[in-house]
Amino acid sequence: MAQQNKGIVLVADGEAAIRDILLFYLKRSGFQVIQAEDGQDVLLEMTKIQPDLVLADLSLPGISGDQLCRILKGNPDTKDIYFILMTPFSEYTDIEVTIDALSIGADDTINKPLRSQELLARVGSAFRLIQMQKEIKQQNRDLTVFRENVQRELELAARLQVSLLPEVGTIAPYQYTHRYKPVGGIGGDIYAITPLPYGGAALLIADVSGHGVTSALISAVVKTSFENHIRSRGGPMTWAQCINRDLLRNTMEEQFATAFLAKLDPMEGNFTYACAGHEPPIYIAQGATGNPKSPIALSSSSHPLGMDESMSFTEHTITFEPGDRLILYTDGLVETESESQKRLGAEGLLQLCSALATNQEDTASQIFQYAQEFIAPREFSDDVTLVLIDHVVPGG
Amino acid sequence: MLNLQTRQEENASVITVKGKVNFEVTAQLREAVKETIATHQPKLLVINLEGVSFIDSSGLGLLVAARSSIDKINGRLHLCNLPSQVMKVFDQTNLTNYFSIYASEQDALSAL
Repeated sequence: MAQQNKGIVLVADGEAAIRDILLFYLKRSGFQVIQAEDGQDVLLEMTKIQPDLVLADLSLPGISGDQLCRILKGNPDTKDIYFILMTPFSEYTDIEVTIDALSIGADDTINKPLRSQELLARVGSAFRLIQMQKEIKQQNRDLTVFRENVQRELELAARLQVSLLPEVGTIAPYQYTHRYKPVGGIGGDIYAITPLPYGGAALLIADVSGHGVTSALISAVVKTSFENHIRSRGGPMTWAQCINRDLLRNTMEEQFATAFLAKLDPMEGNFTYACAGHEPPIYIAQGATGNPKSPIALSSSSHPLGMDESMSFTEHTITFEPGDRLILYTDGLVETESESQKRLGAEGLLQLCSALATNQEDTASQIFQYAQEFIAPREFSDDVTLVLIDHVVPGG
Repeated sequence: MLNLQTRQEENASVITVKGKVNFEVTAQLREAVKETIATHQPKLLVINLEGVSFIDSSGLGLLVAARSSIDKINGRLHLCNLPSQVMKVFDQTNLTNYFSIYASEQDALSAL
């Protein structure tokens, strides 16, 4: 009785005696053997079962061994089948025959007359390679499945993250819109604008260090923390302190967020803000009307959130009356380097803001496109968020 | 790729950083800092940023983490030779007050 099946070998030779010898040795060594007496027979057998190895005689009737090799190696379905060409031994031509065989795609050759030990050694060596090839193919399949799963997860996460952003709209008397472009689908930028129970609105834009999944998760922590703390009566400074504490509790040491927080007060016609290491937003008095004043960068320097428990934050107030406009952004908008190694920078953006459109959507597109064209043909290398908020002119 | 050089002074380790310190290369710098601290347990770690053309928030995060690692072994972290574009980022994030910053490596090494 033969040993356990070690693999399938197709033996193709016009001489029955040779086939019998091969069958005997290979079966005894544990291989399943299929026989074919000519080229057509090989192709017919291969439609029924695909062997791991083909052992074919050079002078096979019908389709010669070398032709058969070309056919199998030229077909994507059969090109990975290990092919050994059996060639007649001749002292003078041996090496040329071997070279020819290998150059048309045969994996190995063996001389006739066959010696059983050599035959089994070569077939054994072939099956070591076949086994390795099978393992690599399996690993590739596993990796592909893994990559596709991760990709799908990321796409879902990215969609979820977009759904966390406020929809373009209004919280009377404020109107807002945004442009958002994370690197690799998911990112560490977040922004939120929420009506306050006692009137007005709370505003947040934040940029978590790094990008990718970890940053995205932390950005969700920042947003949740923000939404929890704005219910209390305090202002941006208090909110910043609370988010700072939440982040320190929930993140590792290298992760932190720059943020700009503001409380918009329509009754007072102003807003109070705290800037935690974030890019200074740009304030344009009457920016939403046809008569904009010079843009001002709301610089202030406080620490980013989530860095140190002891850090304190400061608060400032600025008028924000009907017709005024506020432009917030994350550093990805201005910090990508162009091919000539230039960055738009906060200064470049401020300059652009002296000549903006009046319509909010047009302005958002104008800024975003300008930044994009500045670095073209490169793409943004960090997450980009741009937010515009106007205090709407009544009846305007 | 960052160009990193590490050397030992009498009581201090010095890491010289050249290049852009961003998300893509933070792993490299993190490894250098970790290894220096683990191997030499320096009383003083000086990071020379003279050749840094750009630093992003990931890079800042790494420096903050470096400070807390060295705090844990009761050592100190001194930064030196900050180019103006790096200084600007430190100013914006108020980290000029968080780190000990020196104009030259000599100052950073001799400061107590």
